[in-house]
Amino acid sequence: MSKYIFSICLLFTVFLIQAQEIATDTVKKEIRKTKPKTTVQTAETITDSVPVKKDRYGLRVGVDLYKLTRGFYDKDYKGIEFVGDFRLTKKYYIAAELGIEDKTTDDDRLNSTATGTYIKGGFDYNMYNNWLDMENLITVGLRGGFSTFSQELNSYKIYNPDQYWGEIPVNTDGAKYTGLTAAWAEVAVGMKAKVFNNVFVGFGVQLKLLLANKDPDGFENLYIPGFNRTYDGSFGVGFNYTVSYFIPLYKKQVIIPEAEKKAPKK
Amino acid sequence: MKKTLYFLLVFTFGLSSCEKDDICDANTATTPRLIISFYDIKTPSVKQNVTRLKVVGKDQPEGIIFNEGGTDVTKYLTSGDSIAIPLKTNEDSTTFSFILNSDNPNPQLANTDEITFNYSRQNVYVSRACGFKTIYKLNTQIPFVKTDSGTDGIWMQDVRVNNPNIEFENETHVKIYF
Repeated sequence: MSKYIFSICLLFTVFLIQAQEIATDTVKKEIRKTKPKTTVQTAETITDSVPVKKDRYGLRVGVDLYKLTRGFYDKDYKGIEFVGDFRLTKKYYIAAELGIEDKTTDDDRLNSTATGTYIKGGFDYNMYNNWLDMENLITVGLRGGFSTFSQELNSYKIYNPDQYWGEIPVNTDGAKYTGLTAAWAEVAVGMKAKVFNNVFVGFGVQLKLLLANKDPDGFENLYIPGFNRTYDGSFGVGFNYTVSYFIPLYKKQVIIPEAEKKAPKK
Repeated sequence: MKKTLYFLLVFTFGLSSCEKDDICDANTATTPRLIISFYDIKTPSVKQNVTRLKVVGKDQPEGIIFNEGGTDVTKYLTSGDSIAIPLKTNEDSTTFSFILNSDNPNPQLANTDEITFNYSRQNVYVSRACGFKTIYKLNTQIPFVKTDSGTDGIWMQDVRVNNPNIEFENETHVKIYF
């Protein structure tokens, strides 16, 4: 686990460094542009000289290509995930994912199939400072996830340390467990880049913490749709690769803090 | 931007590489063996060592190994006061031959008794790595059938069930008095 934590810390440090670099760059540019003008002209003209920048607000909907394409090469997997986010403020987005999965887990001694749907909801915070009309995102976010699913034990082996009576045949008298539920929280880190027009490509990783898990009687949830494989602890990981389309709804003018400070002085 | 992309890639590959890491721990309680303890018939509370006992499952070519480090002959022998023998996990009865003094040069002194244990089975989930285990319950009506194989007489004078629930190996399930 410490390995993951270390990687995440590394990840965050990179974000920090990048975010700061870009921020200082823009500030410098702004100062360079405005300083000579303030000395010559009045403050009134400064506000006019700053080009009006408008951010687009709207709904972005997409699909996880990783889950969608996995069904073609992995016969044990069928699934689809729809993603969506809505821009609330300059930096914050409401985000949600909705998915359905059918996954057969083949372990050395167990073979089971989990089938179900899940929903995740939460927010994303964009840490990337865009230039002009760029609309890229590097986000960290939180989600709450909930899944309702069933699990079928297809076959299992008896573990017997004593092999005196020889190899034991595989049992196939497993049962189907329905009405199972699980809930979890996750930290999502990701990025989205505008490739053309309103089309975005992005990918992200999620670190999950299982909060509630209803295990079947006499068995265990080995795979939870949306949460993925369960480990001994309550941690899980996820990955997605999305293509999404941005539906612009309205625009908001960007207030540049530098200009705002100068204005009341007049 | 590019740096971040690489880090994310490395991060995800790092995660995928630690997928198959679970092996069934040897300390996990899995399918138990039947524990038999030997007692003195004259003073039933005192354990008694058997002499060079060999236990062979029915239709098995070799005996149960009691002594891993022994030679081809001695690894099947025990002179202790208790043994652990595996029951079949796919049938409701298992038959064993108990051969006392099995490697004695004088075959007249070897004595073979046969016991068939009758039980019911239950498969219980253990974990992802270990799968399932089988636990047993000796039948209440006829838990075992003792027969003399051959004409050498019966060396087990009494056999009693101590605990019909065979779930763990840290307790005696069957007591044999001789």
